[in-house]
Amino acid sequence: MSAGAAGLRAWFEAYLAAFNRADFPTFGAYYADDILFHGQAAQLVGREAVLAFYHKVRTFLHERIELISFVGAPDGSRIAAELHTTLLALRDWPDMPTGPMRTGDTRMRVSFAMYEIADNRFTRIRTARFSPPGGDAA
Amino acid sequence: MTPEARFHAYIRAFNASDWEALRGYYAADVRLVIGNGTELNGRDAILDFYSQVKRQTRRSIEIVQCFADGRTLAAEIESEFLATENAPDFAVRPMAKGDRYYLNSFVFYDFDGDHYTRIRAATFRREFRPAAAG
Repeated sequence: MSAGAAGLRAWFEAYLAAFNRADFPTFGAYYADDILFHGQAAQLVGREAVLAFYHKVRTFLHERIELISFVGAPDGSRIAAELHTTLLALRDWPDMPTGPMRTGDTRMRVSFAMYEIADNRFTRIRTARFSPPGGDAA
Repeated sequence: MTPEARFHAYIRAFNASDWEALRGYYAADVRLVIGNGTELNGRDAILDFYSQVKRQTRRSIEIVQCFADGRTLAAEIESEFLATENAPDFAVRPMAKGDRYYLNSFVFYDFDGDHYTRIRAATFRREFRPAAAG
């Protein structure tokens, strides 16, 4: 990771870009082996579990994340991010953890995410939903 | 004073219910948005809201972590509300005297100089702890 907030932001933006293009090897490299992942749709431990989760998600959804606000700790150990997520259902997913979606549905939300970092990898990711329910569009 | 030190002082003032000190931390047109849909515009609206909350509960905030980058400070805070009276219209949920409500929140504070201009909060964890549960 580059030193300084600008370098940290660029490093994080590269992660989001890899995530958005479903480049699993690249964004997966950001996860520590024993990462703790507390998302709104899943609570997971370990890189393999997180990647398996996203592999499953991608069979149902197109997911795109845009960075709205970025706050990097000066020592590079933490990031707080405001993220806008857009989900597009590629097929029906009645059991989607955050609520069923049907083919063609879109769902948008804004979340605040906290990332903890060690040795250039995320060791813990936690997200909290900011936008109130109602951000869905069919 | 660093943004982090200023934030610690702000939370100390909050926990002490020092409204005059708190007033000095907000821009006149500060905007507060909480993920539950609450939106408050202006310093007076925020102080009125918090003073109402504090009439019904004893709220204490602990800073888990905070760090600033540019003109935004990010914070993780833990809040506990202890109902000091029955509060059926409490902002989060109805509370009976002695009930406690715990929140773990992520918050962004945009600032301009010494003043917070925009505050946005999202709840990561919440737990209702009824008085009967001890």
